[in-house]
Amino acid sequence: MAESYRRSHWGHAVFVLPYLTIFALLLAFPLFWSVWLSLHKVDLFGPGRFVGLGNYARVLADPVFLQAFRNTVVFVALSVPTLVALGLFLALALNRTTRAASFLRGLFFSSSVLSVAIVTLIWRFVFIPGEGLMPLIFEQLGLQPINFLSTAGWSLFSVGVATVWWCIGLPMMLFLAALQQIPGDLYEAAALDNASPWRVLTRITLPSIARTVMLVTVIQIVMQFQLFGQAHLMTNGGPSGTSRPLVMYIYEVGFVRWDVGKGAAASELLFLIILCAAMVQYVVSTRKPEVAE
Amino acid sequence: MRHFLLSTAAVIALSWAGAAQAQTTIQLQRFFGACEPDYGKVTDVSSAVGECGIITSLINKFEADNPDIDVNVTTVKWPGYDQLNAQLASGAAPDVVSIHYSAISDYQARGLIDSVDEILAAQGIAPTSFTEAARGGVTKEGQMFGLPFDNWTMLFHVNLNLMKEAGLVNPDGTPILPTSVDEFFAQGKQFKEKTGKPYLVQILANETAVYARMLYTFLQQQNSDFFADPTKIKLNTPEAKSVVEFMKRINDEGLTTLGLDYAAAVSAFAQGAGGIAVNGTWLIGDFVAQSQKSNTALAGGYTVYPVPQLFPGRDSTYADGHSWVLPHKDRTPEQTAAIGKLFKFLADNDFQWARTGHLPAVKAVFDTPEFKALPFRGNIAKIAETGRSLPGAVQRQFPIQAILSEELGAAINGDKSVDEALSSAESRINDLLANI
Repeated sequence: MAESYRRSHWGHAVFVLPYLTIFALLLAFPLFWSVWLSLHKVDLFGPGRFVGLGNYARVLADPVFLQAFRNTVVFVALSVPTLVALGLFLALALNRTTRAASFLRGLFFSSSVLSVAIVTLIWRFVFIPGEGLMPLIFEQLGLQPINFLSTAGWSLFSVGVATVWWCIGLPMMLFLAALQQIPGDLYEAAALDNASPWRVLTRITLPSIARTVMLVTVIQIVMQFQLFGQAHLMTNGGPSGTSRPLVMYIYEVGFVRWDVGKGAAASELLFLIILCAAMVQYVVSTRKPEVAE
Repeated sequence: MRHFLLSTAAVIALSWAGAAQAQTTIQLQRFFGACEPDYGKVTDVSSAVGECGIITSLINKFEADNPDIDVNVTTVKWPGYDQLNAQLASGAAPDVVSIHYSAISDYQARGLIDSVDEILAAQGIAPTSFTEAARGGVTKEGQMFGLPFDNWTMLFHVNLNLMKEAGLVNPDGTPILPTSVDEFFAQGKQFKEKTGKPYLVQILANETAVYARMLYTFLQQQNSDFFADPTKIKLNTPEAKSVVEFMKRINDEGLTTLGLDYAAAVSAFAQGAGGIAVNGTWLIGDFVAQSQKSNTALAGGYTVYPVPQLFPGRDSTYADGHSWVLPHKDRTPEQTAAIGKLFKFLADNDFQWARTGHLPAVKAVFDTPEFKALPFRGNIAKIAETGRSLPGAVQRQFPIQAILSEELGAAINGDKSVDEALSSAESRINDLLANI
């Protein structure tokens, strides 16, 4: 023990140097640089001038930012519970060793490997008026078609549907992994006690995977706050900005209008929101498990 | 054996060195779409149709004519400015880039693009050989900052078959188009009653420009000087209000398709979903091709006109154009010469590009029999006089269009009042311009 301790020289740090270099260059440096940018009036092509917290004041006074913030919160509040509930349902349904279950697991996970461009193209075919799937269904049912992508409210809903379809694979897999960790003897004991399926679910399964439920929830909150591609490609944030998420606001301000300082200020605010969610994840994942009885 | 191997290696090395010495590469970045499977090898430009087909075969032809020049083409999603900005910021810009006249001032004001005056002069291309509208589009502070390629505008693409059904065709076969707002609604109502279809096919979903282009057009028709100061827009005016109310009434009276994005609107018009598609010059070639096929909704029944003058004042339509610019960077004399040759080739072949439907940038093309023989060019030729852009000093025209379209859309869909939308658009645009 003492020998190995003596041998742990600073020189050993060289082994973590490649990672630290990449971490510093690609994560730490941009983080601090974006803070610096947020304090300057600056575009993409040269040095700016220091404006203090002026950019933050402009962002917080911008009704478009507030609308994008509201949209994002609504989107997260609706998509995350859906992803958690649906992911759990699929995991429970497919947590068996049959060939059909394996096939269906692969099928439900397959959407996750698609790029956002393909996902949005598929859902455009579903929602677009005239030749889309939904208008055809509405027509068959004798109902007035809804313009899903260009009606306030429905546009964010459509983006949410595409997102859930795209992202459902990861929650399902995490829940499946957690379900397979539950000791089989608990279920045997429940069977001996003649417990109903509902009782087994609420007294054994759900308590056993409670931390995974929390983990999936936090991961999804962090991911869905970063919504961009689906909204950008399906609705372009419209109509009237009702489906514009925060990241799209940052993109428009920073890259389309070249107001990089303001865009950086908005991204710092988003960073704070995501940091809070990540802290929750940290607390949950490092909390000591309860002592077994 | 050893001798053979050495000789072979020497021959390969020499031929490679020779090729490397002779070949000058130009990195060209453009929008206009990708169509490599159809046109990747085509050098017969006259057989190509549509923007993508024609520009792809033009570049192929240029490479075939100039074996010492290699043009590396990168196709970007329209309009491609995000990519260009990232390239300029990282010092990795291409040599030649397609750009709208309306975006040139952003790059020129920041010193990000170079003047093309010397390159054009070296090739004997006189600035006066371009139309005034085209030259004006690329000229900033007395210098030309791009090779003008065309002028384009929004048009009324007309389905004559449906117009006949609606009784909106003159005895000479031309469509009856409105000359005032009242006529517009009377004819739109008649069309809807007779055909059961909407009068207009518009792009209203996932869209950032059309509302703004139409607003500019109708404000120009009322002589409204809404950008008298290029750093401030003025939209709280009776003229702007009347335009937005007109656009809203089109929706309210059910005279337009709803919810279609660009691709869906183009396909809907081609399938006969409505009488008049409000879309750009670039679709003329494609719609003509559709009308020449039997069994299509446009078969033998397509024509096209400028957006009519609906407001008293003057006949005017908002026009923009495409050009080729040179991002600021170091180039070898060979590359500069190769770019000059490419510009000369593109200017010499401006007629081919005009087959897309765009108006030529080169004046002489207007007088050629080939251009005059192109379908419907007589109908839209007056755009050369009536087409007007925003003042050249107005920066950030693309984001301005996006803000306008969003706010106008809100008013037209009834999510905001007209006054509220115009005030909001004005303050958002002025905030943008004040913070450049």
